[in-house]
Amino acid sequence: MRFVWISALKDLRRLRREPVTILTWLAIPTFVAVILTLVFGPRGTGPHGKLLIADEDHAVGATMLTQAFSQGALGKMLALEQVSQAEGRRRLDRGDASALIVIPSGFSMSFMTGQPVTIDLIRNPAQRVLPDIIEESLGIMLDRAAALRSGTGQPAIQLQANVLPNKMERPGGFAAILLPGALFMAIFFIAGALAADVWRERTSGALRRVATTPARFGAFLAGKLLASALIFSLIGAFGLAVAHGLMQLRIASFPAALLWIALSGCGLYLLIMLVQSAASSERVASLLTNFVTLPLVMLGGGFVPFEWMPRSFARIGEWTPNGWCVVELRAVLAGSLEPWAFAVILAAVAAAWLASVRTIRRAAC
Amino acid sequence: MIEVEQLRKQYGDFTAVHDVSFTARAGEIFGLLGPNGAGKTTTIGCISTLLAPTSGRIRVMGHDVVKEGIEARRSMGVVPQEIALYDDLSAEENLSYWGGAQGLRGAPLRERIREVLDLTGLLDRSREPIKRFSGGMKRRLNFACGIVHQPKVLLLDEPTVGVDPQSRVRLLELVREQARAGACVLYTTHYMEEAESLCDRLAIVDHGRICAQGTLAELRALLGERDVLRLSGAFHPEQVRQTLARVEGVEVIHADEALLALAMTDASHRLPLIFAALNGSELRGTTLTQPSLESLFIKLTGTELRE
Repeated sequence: MRFVWISALKDLRRLRREPVTILTWLAIPTFVAVILTLVFGPRGTGPHGKLLIADEDHAVGATMLTQAFSQGALGKMLALEQVSQAEGRRRLDRGDASALIVIPSGFSMSFMTGQPVTIDLIRNPAQRVLPDIIEESLGIMLDRAAALRSGTGQPAIQLQANVLPNKMERPGGFAAILLPGALFMAIFFIAGALAADVWRERTSGALRRVATTPARFGAFLAGKLLASALIFSLIGAFGLAVAHGLMQLRIASFPAALLWIALSGCGLYLLIMLVQSAASSERVASLLTNFVTLPLVMLGGGFVPFEWMPRSFARIGEWTPNGWCVVELRAVLAGSLEPWAFAVILAAVAAAWLASVRTIRRAAC
Repeated sequence: MIEVEQLRKQYGDFTAVHDVSFTARAGEIFGLLGPNGAGKTTTIGCISTLLAPTSGRIRVMGHDVVKEGIEARRSMGVVPQEIALYDDLSAEENLSYWGGAQGLRGAPLRERIREVLDLTGLLDRSREPIKRFSGGMKRRLNFACGIVHQPKVLLLDEPTVGVDPQSRVRLLELVREQARAGACVLYTTHYMEEAESLCDRLAIVDHGRICAQGTLAELRALLGERDVLRLSGAFHPEQVRQTLARVEGVEVIHADEALLALAMTDASHRLPLIFAALNGSELRGTTLTQPSLESLFIKLTGTELRE
C-alpha cells in the first residue's frame, strides 16, 4: 500500500515540474469552447432539442398530435422520440430531453366522443426556451382542436404542464450544453498524455527496474491511477467552478460530479493505456492514441455538443466511452445520481486495471 | 550468493542460454564476459526475475527466484544497462523512489540517500533535476539507485557502456567497494580490460554457453601459454642460465649480455625468486607479458570478441 502512495507522489512531482503541460491541457478545451462560441454565437445555430412522447393511446388522434411536432419549424427544432412514460420520466430526470408529453390511453376516443381528457406536459427545468416553445405550441394545437369542436359545447382538452421538481435551479443555456463535453475533452487529452508516460518509463528502463524490486506492478499502476485521479479531480474542480459561475449549478451535486469525473477519467486513462500497449514503439503508440482519441472526442460531444449533431451521430456518440461519461455527468449535475452508472464505471476501472497490470508486466519484461 | 544450475532460456526454437551453471560468492566480483548477444543480459534477466527460465534453477541468497521471487528480489540490487531513472526528478527524489520500492522508509532511507550521494560524488547536486546531469553523473546515480538498499547481491549489466574514461574508473572503484563491503557482485561486460582488472572470477560466454570459467590465472593456464618476462641490464649469459636452471618452472628462452627472456607460468608470483637468483646482475628494466583474455577468447570460441 505504501508503494501506491510513493508511486503516486513520484508522478505528481514530475507533473509539478511541467506546469505548462497542465495549462495546455486546460487550454485546449477552453480554446475550442471559445471558438465554438465565436462561430455559432452563444446560442449556437438556434435552439435544438429533444421532445419525448409517451403515446399510451396509439390511435389516430395521438398520431396527428405527434406529427404536428415534426412539421415545419418545430420539426427542425425538435427531435422526437417515442418512449414509455416511465422511460420518459427517467430520461427527463437525467436532463436528457427538453420535455415529455404524455398522451393518455383513450385520448383519441375521448376527443371523438367529446369526453374530457388531459394531456400532461413535463418540462425540463434546466432549459427554458425549448420547453416554452413546446408548451406554447402544444397549447395552440389543443386550442385549435378545441375550436374544431366549439360547436358541440363539450369541454376542451385540458393541458397540464408540470415542471420536473428539483434539478438545476437555473437554465444553463449555452454553457450547460458545452461544458460537460469540453470538460471530458480535456480529461481525454490528459488521460492520453498521462498514459503515454508509461511508454516513456518502458523506454527508459524504469519499468524493468520496478520489476526487479519487491514492489508489485499492481501497486505501481495503482499509484499512477491515484495520481491521475487527483489530476482529473483538479481539472474537474476547475470545470465545475466555471460551470457554477455560468450556470449556478447546485454545489450539492459537486462531490458526486467530482467523483464521477475522477472515476471516468481513470477509466479513459486505462483504456488509452491498453490501446497504447498494442503499439510497437512510442511513436506508434502516440499515433494510435490520436487515431482513437480524436474521433471519440468528436463523436463523444467534445468538439460539438450532442444537441448540435445530426441525431444519428448523437446516438452513436452517446454510447462512446467518453460520450457516455458526458451523458452521465449531465445526469449527475442535474441531481440525478445513478448508482448503477457508478457501479459500471467502478467495475470497468477494476477490469481495465487488472488487464493493464498484466500488459505492463509483459511490456517490462 | 548466487547459484545458477543448468540455466536454459529458450524463445521458441532459439536458445538464448544453454545450460549455464556458475556460483558467485559473497565478497567477490564474478564477471560474465562475452560479446553482445552472447546471453549475458538474458542470464542476468533470469537471475533478477525479469525473465522466467525455461529450465534450470537459480537461487539468490538461498531463495529460488521462481518460487520465492519477492524474497530473492529483497536481497538484490540491479544496475541495468540503460539509465533507468526519472529525468525530471532530482537525484535525491530518484533515490527516494527506488529506495521506497525496495521497502526503505523514513530516517533510515534519508540517511542512506545521503550516504550513497556522498559515495557517488553527487551530494552537492542532489536537488537538481537530473536532466541537467552529464552522462557520467547519470551513470553514477543509476548505480547509486541499485545500491541504496545495501543489497547482498548486486547485478550489474554493462554499467560502463558509453561512459567517459574518468567516470568509468570511478564506477569500477564503486563496484570494488561493494565487494569489499561483502556484497556478491555479478558483473557483465564485453570489455576485456574491464573484466581483467575488476573480476575475481570470470565466466567466458558465447552463443549462450559458458566456454570457460575460473580465476584469471586459471583461465590463463587453460590457454597453455606461459608468461614471458623480459629483463634488460648487464648479464653473463652462461652464468644466468646455470643459476636459473635451479629455479623450478622457469625456462630461459633467450640470454645475451643485455637481455634475458624467461618463460614461466604465474610469473608475477615468481618474480621475487627470479630477482633473488639474479642477485649480482645489473637489472635496468622488466617487462612481463601475460597471455591475454583476448587470445583465450579466440582459442575458446575461434573468433575475436565482437562488440
